[in-house]
Amino acid sequence: MNQSYDTSKKIRHLLAGIFTLSLGASLIWLILEATGMPLTPDLGYVMNSVGDTGSINVVTAILMDYRGFDTLGEASVIFTSVAVTAAILAEPVFTLERPILSIITRRAIAYLVPVFFMFPLYVITHGHLSPGGGFQGGVSLAVLVILTHVVFGHNLAMKKIPFSLLTMGEYWAALSFGILGLLGIFTGVGFLANLATGVPRGIPGQLLSGGLIPVLNLIVGIKVAAGLSSLYITLEGNPRRKK
Amino acid sequence: MNSLGEYIALIIILACLVLSALSAVLIRGQITTIIVLSVFSVLCAVLFAMLQAVDVAMAEAVIGAGFLTALFVTAADKTRGQGS
Repeated sequence: MNQSYDTSKKIRHLLAGIFTLSLGASLIWLILEATGMPLTPDLGYVMNSVGDTGSINVVTAILMDYRGFDTLGEASVIFTSVAVTAAILAEPVFTLERPILSIITRRAIAYLVPVFFMFPLYVITHGHLSPGGGFQGGVSLAVLVILTHVVFGHNLAMKKIPFSLLTMGEYWAALSFGILGLLGIFTGVGFLANLATGVPRGIPGQLLSGGLIPVLNLIVGIKVAAGLSSLYITLEGNPRRKK
Repeated sequence: MNSLGEYIALIIILACLVLSALSAVLIRGQITTIIVLSVFSVLCAVLFAMLQAVDVAMAEAVIGAGFLTALFVTAADKTRGQGS
């Protein structure tokens, strides 16, 4: 019985190895093929996106305008995960201060943190002009909140960035995304419509252009930043479970 | 991809991706595995940037190397000494 178990295990491992190796080989082949191909994406989006949406960045145009409903779903996935984490775990309390880093590190990071905060703000506000957008900038903001927690200790970080602010940001960003979507319904063109609702287009290439796209980028950025950082704070602020 | 140098760089990055993915599974120790996984994410981001997908590269770098590492380290710290 033992021997047959061993052979079946060996066969299963062999099959799994062959499967994984062939999967990796086909993936490498696919990537090499894809890099050799001429770039022929769906030309409709590439040709018409500036005229349709007023956004230079085609990726943001697709994410926030053509497929805005998918972005709403993506945002609600994060909202659901944060809600489930908050439902399972208790509210974060930091009674024991963890050992914070040395004074040199704290001073150096304290001078650098404003500069660090400029990068995600740039990425969020220029989402329709340059690579990036609300999601990338929002995650960067969440990482910066984690950085302040790690470097300056929980008590100071919770005083500077209160937990209620994060939860408020999460709720209100989710709500305002839906309300902005309803704007299209009230003007009679459809949920999450952008330029068809009559918002000013602006000149493509300027900061205030693209209709609702910068506003949606800002909302998604706030939502992702608040959601992911409150996820971290909830995990960190719960005591370690005894066995 | 037009020049030979870019092609060779692509091959090197793909090989390093496979190596880091394998070592993330094979290496002992939770913290080491987490760090190797973040190295994997950085390599993935470089690959995406080479393939002209800068938006995806930015998301991969920020989530995989930054946020997930912090979450995994926190989880490993909270569950230390339980299980194997």
